[in-house]
Amino acid sequence: MTKVIRRPLGLWLVALAVYAFLYVPLIIVVVYSFNDSQLNAEWVGFTLDWYRKLFHNDEMLKAAGNSLMIALVASAASTLLGTMAGFAMHRYKLKLLPLLVLTPIAIPEILVGVSLLIFFVMLNITLGLVSIALAHIAFCIGFVAIVVRSRLSGMDESLTEAARDCGATPMQAFRLVTLPLIMPGVVAGALMAFTLSIDDFVITFFTAGANASTLPLQIYSMIKIAVTPEVNAVSTLLMGLTLLLIIIASKLAPNAIRSS
Amino acid sequence: MKKLLTVATLLFASISAQAADELRLYNWNNYIAPETVQRFEAFCKCKVVQTYYGDNEEMLAKLAAGAKGYDIIVPTGNALDALIKQQALLPLDKSQLPNLKNVNPAYLNTDFDKGNKYSVPYAYTVTLMGYNDQKMKELGIPVDSWAAIFDPKILVKIKGKVTVLDSANELMAAALKYLGYSANDTDEAHWQQAKDVILKAKPYWAAFNGSSYIKELTVGNIWLAHGYSNDIFQADVDAQKAGRKFHIRHAMPKEGAVLALDSMVIHKAAPRPDLALKFINFMLDGKNAAELSNLIGSGNPNADAARYIKPEIANNPAIFPDKAGFAKLEMLKDLNSKQRRAMNRMWTEIRAR
Amino acid sequence: MSKVANTVASEAAKKLSDAAEKRGRMARWLISGPPLFYLLLFFAIPSLIMVFASIRYAGDYGGLAPVFDEAGKLNLTLENFQRFTSDFIYTAIFLKSLMYAVITTFCCLLMAYPLALLIARSPKKYRDLLILLVILPFWSNFLIRVYAWMIILGPQSGLTQAVNYVLGLAGIEPVRLLFTAFSVIVGLVYVHLPFMVLPLYANLEKHDPALVDAAQDLGASAWQRFWRITFPLSLPGVYAGAALVFIPALGIFAVSDILGGTGSDMIGNVIKQQFLETRDWPFGSVLSIVLTVAALVAAGIAVLVAKPRRTA
Repeated sequence: MTKVIRRPLGLWLVALAVYAFLYVPLIIVVVYSFNDSQLNAEWVGFTLDWYRKLFHNDEMLKAAGNSLMIALVASAASTLLGTMAGFAMHRYKLKLLPLLVLTPIAIPEILVGVSLLIFFVMLNITLGLVSIALAHIAFCIGFVAIVVRSRLSGMDESLTEAARDCGATPMQAFRLVTLPLIMPGVVAGALMAFTLSIDDFVITFFTAGANASTLPLQIYSMIKIAVTPEVNAVSTLLMGLTLLLIIIASKLAPNAIRSS
Repeated sequence: MKKLLTVATLLFASISAQAADELRLYNWNNYIAPETVQRFEAFCKCKVVQTYYGDNEEMLAKLAAGAKGYDIIVPTGNALDALIKQQALLPLDKSQLPNLKNVNPAYLNTDFDKGNKYSVPYAYTVTLMGYNDQKMKELGIPVDSWAAIFDPKILVKIKGKVTVLDSANELMAAALKYLGYSANDTDEAHWQQAKDVILKAKPYWAAFNGSSYIKELTVGNIWLAHGYSNDIFQADVDAQKAGRKFHIRHAMPKEGAVLALDSMVIHKAAPRPDLALKFINFMLDGKNAAELSNLIGSGNPNADAARYIKPEIANNPAIFPDKAGFAKLEMLKDLNSKQRRAMNRMWTEIRAR
Repeated sequence: MSKVANTVASEAAKKLSDAAEKRGRMARWLISGPPLFYLLLFFAIPSLIMVFASIRYAGDYGGLAPVFDEAGKLNLTLENFQRFTSDFIYTAIFLKSLMYAVITTFCCLLMAYPLALLIARSPKKYRDLLILLVILPFWSNFLIRVYAWMIILGPQSGLTQAVNYVLGLAGIEPVRLLFTAFSVIVGLVYVHLPFMVLPLYANLEKHDPALVDAAQDLGASAWQRFWRITFPLSLPGVYAGAALVFIPALGIFAVSDILGGTGSDMIGNVIKQQFLETRDWPFGSVLSIVLTVAALVAAGIAVLVAKPRRTA
């Protein structure tokens, strides 16, 4: 007798309520991108002006592009390094790595930002998109590592052992057995890293150069004057674009992203 | 291999050549009209690359940690004070700034840059109060004094409808002015009095807010706000557009207020000081300077700009104070590290209680 | 004859195990090495610069005072630490932030768990989409998301008016939702929710439905199935999510800046003020050290608490 996967009505209702909690602010963000008001404090009227303005705003578009690029690079690199770290922390009794992985999450961003800036200046590294990406990778690794590790703990080691018994090298055992099993953890970590990077302000502010900007830097600098609906517009577009990218990627490489 | 090298060198050369004709402007967002930038780019045949900061202290922290690559920066008074004391600026070559004569002498020769060795005035705002004229009239609240924010007898009528700036310097300055002292007073005893005034008024305030108070004013959630003159101008523009039945007006307190003068300076490690000087001279031309005032309602220290500014802005006494009003304005000086510490300790206590 | 064979065999065995051990050690370095070196270079060493700043003096108008003064003497001090221990207000704010962070973590857990459970138990083809939908809102900019909450919780919003209507029926004075501790907590929960959902989901997804089925066959009620089987199995995910919410929530300042009233400063705000208002980097460094150590200790305690529960 096949059992239906247990999803009682109560669970549905609560889950939908949480989705609503997540989405009501977002709906406001999208709707207000069409708001005919500079200060965007309340609904005034419908207009496409902000989108028109956005398409002529080279600076804002370039900043959005930079943010996307940095987020892709940073999440890819930190997912790779974070998965390695998570795996190593699970497998070996390490002392230093868990500390180094957890501290960037705990330490205030301002401290990290200022210290990285001083560090880059000391080493005479020119500030720019690269310095931002390096900084982002550093604080994203921890998030990926913790999720991967938690996915690994309690995992059935016998599968990997069985693979080894059948003659697989450690590399093959990892690639063909362990990796698919932890893939949802890796993907979850990658998504978190991407989210952290694309929206980071404090660390990015300090490690950015004089000729490169990211979207959060543009937006936060508007905070004292007016965060116009143009910001809502660029956010809506960026969300849409990122969603599109991920859907395309999942169609092109279905096995890479599909949960096991 | 050789071909690759040639291509690479050409590419690199073209990139660096491009980089060489860039003016790096580190400024507040929306603090220069796009038309002005375009006109300057055509004039100097160079490119203007802008990056932004939203707060003086962010800019100061970045520069103090060693960041370089900026040509022009636009600090406000006390930040300018700090930069000069940190010797972070390049002295200006006045021979390249013939338009300097356009500046209203009242804004030259400030206490921290006598003789304008390093800085040239750019724009200014006054920190005062913005209010919902309908509500204030209804409740009979006098808006000519800081008492509207600090006097509990008045505040009880507008409890929960008042915001103040979340800047320790600005709020303490307002309280000191209310008590009749100078905004730059550093006497411990006077600071304690100011702190007490603030603590007594605090329960009636809705929030310490430096960024979204204009929104709340426009919508009508807040009726009185401690804020900047150009923000309040913007709030009224937006309120009218939204069809609100009230106006957001400026209130210049009779005890006086803080004048925040923004200046153009050149960073000592500027890659293109020549372009920077060109830019400063360009911005000192009346027509160019006026565009900013027309854009955001900021005060303009350029005497020549007056004829290009829209009348409703030029005639607003809170944006362009008259002689009497100007006499009561003070620019905030920077504090030394001991004083800043004491101020922050007080601020932490104010915010925690 | 057999003795020689034995020695040869045992030598060969030893060589094999040595090689295996060597490969094992190499594998260990290959896997843990890159993240270790990256973090050492781009995190540990820079941070040590600022940790060292905690025993320096602040520069008169910003930055840090030089390590050696004009006379060449060492210009270091412990006064910044003394200031923290001697002045209770910082500890008080710290404790308040701890409380906020605990409440946020708890609320996130309550809200994220049902959602993660639903997604984990959904048909495979929907799971990816559902998880993407959870994180999609967080690719918009933080500021405008929080500003949206200002609209939702503002005095003229539908929500506030509904709440006050209900309160009015009960004879209670109308309340303000915005610029209160409530709005700060709502903001904190909102901002951190995906970081609880994702780790929980990653864990719940691998649960074998057969276990729960077996329990049902044996007569367990829905609650018992959840509490005795699902929840204990999901604990590593719960701890991961709790860590990824509690620790950042301790140090955040932006939410209370925007949504907070006049008494909602958290330790993150105080630290930010040290760097961006007072220009007192040494004291900011001290507060940061205390915060980081406290967070790590909390994480460490959680790990210790988690360990003995290995028995299912």
